[in-house]
Amino acid sequence: MSLTITCPICGKRNGYEFRFGGEDKGPRPDEDSLTPQRWCEYVHLNECVAGVQKEWWVHKDGCGSWFTIHRDTVMNVEVAKPEADR
Amino acid sequence: MFGKYKPMWGEKTQLKSSYDAVIIGGGLHGLATAYYLAKDHGITDVAIIEKNYIGFGGAGRNTAIVRANQRTQYNVPLYKEALDLWPILTKELDYNLMFNNCGNLNLMHSEAAMKAARMTIATAQFHGVESHLIDAKEAKELVPALNISEDITYPIHGAMFHPPGGIVRHDAVVWGLARGASKFGVEIHQQTEATAVNTRNGKIVSIETNRGTINTNKLLISAGGYSAALIYGMVGIKLPISVLTIQAMVTQPLKPLLDHVVSSGAYHCYANQTLKGEIATGAHMDQWPNYTTQTTAHYIKHQGEALSEFMPCLRGLRFMRIWAGLADMTPDMAPILDGNDHIEGFYFNCGWGYFGFKSCSASGKYMAEFMAKGQAPDMIKPFNLRRYEQHKLMGETAELVTYTPNN
Repeated sequence: MSLTITCPICGKRNGYEFRFGGEDKGPRPDEDSLTPQRWCEYVHLNECVAGVQKEWWVHKDGCGSWFTIHRDTVMNVEVAKPEADR
Repeated sequence: MFGKYKPMWGEKTQLKSSYDAVIIGGGLHGLATAYYLAKDHGITDVAIIEKNYIGFGGAGRNTAIVRANQRTQYNVPLYKEALDLWPILTKELDYNLMFNNCGNLNLMHSEAAMKAARMTIATAQFHGVESHLIDAKEAKELVPALNISEDITYPIHGAMFHPPGGIVRHDAVVWGLARGASKFGVEIHQQTEATAVNTRNGKIVSIETNRGTINTNKLLISAGGYSAALIYGMVGIKLPISVLTIQAMVTQPLKPLLDHVVSSGAYHCYANQTLKGEIATGAHMDQWPNYTTQTTAHYIKHQGEALSEFMPCLRGLRFMRIWAGLADMTPDMAPILDGNDHIEGFYFNCGWGYFGFKSCSASGKYMAEFMAKGQAPDMIKPFNLRRYEQHKLMGETAELVTYTPNN
């Protein structure tokens, strides 16, 4: 699929060089007072947004860096950071 | 030729302001649930709300393969029942579902794969599902088109042969179930989009649609690949699902040459010959979530390469059509059938990944029982959402699925 992704080190590259790393779920939960529910949410649960979401990618066949981008999951294109998140 | 046609699933009716049960999603699982609600439980005041048209999603985009050679003790009986229901449904619905009981052949390309197949076969036999391990020569006897030579990328070591499986005409199932359900009085409302779900004191009270409000205290969301986004968006329940686009294609029609469903994990490819003669083949998913249902040249090339290696007689054939649908993948490759837990009267059926077609008959039957009684039948109890927080994943795959970000 004709997806391009902008790596912070290498710039805009073919999407097949990257591996999807999941929806952005914020920082890893604190291990003190961590419940199975909270851990399950962090590990497994997704919002599955049909629209723009913030997500992790790794430049697998490139520099190897991990970073987040915003992508429209309906159009399958990388988009600029939405106004609300700035 | 230009006679007057009557829709098989009833005349277009006005949307009422209240129903005993509402089902969002006019796909196979929704239609089957409505059919069994009416037939087995006498709940006939049911509305199916479909945003597009019935069979728009996975119901019309799958490759029509049915089988019951899954891996775990909970899944095998469910898929076995689904398989056993095809001939029964054909009679009950009085509609030819064209069940072609041709059998499935899963090719194994290494000793490790053969060992895994032995385990799957042991499970199948324990549950009374016919499945055998055969060697490469026996596979060649069943499917003469196979290339069992040593000099291909992944030489064939043997195969798991599952005779009860085969192919069912997917559109016929949509139409048959829609007609069957509407004969009992179920209303099918196409071009009707659900926009919100209203709850009061932890109970379902109504839903909003683009054609008005519907009061109900039983709601099922069973919208295939769109379920996860709908459930989170309207009800706020997050699911362990990643929605991926999966592609399939057919070649030009040929004389009969392939009378089994052949699949290969190593080549990442499966193929069967439809009753029209086309070779239907598929399996590729792009490895990141998206709702595009786009197809890619990248994959046509992969499919051409794979097929022409293990079935070289297909070299030079032309692909006629390629299409894609959505698969809602869970980390353990098993579905989520749950309800009446987080919110009273709210049921959901999703996470079938690419197993949604072969399971629809049994899933509809048990979801209907679940909705009628309010208690999960034993058969689907293990498929609840809470299994993820209890760390009781099903193990349908030896490891977490490659397509999700989990590995």
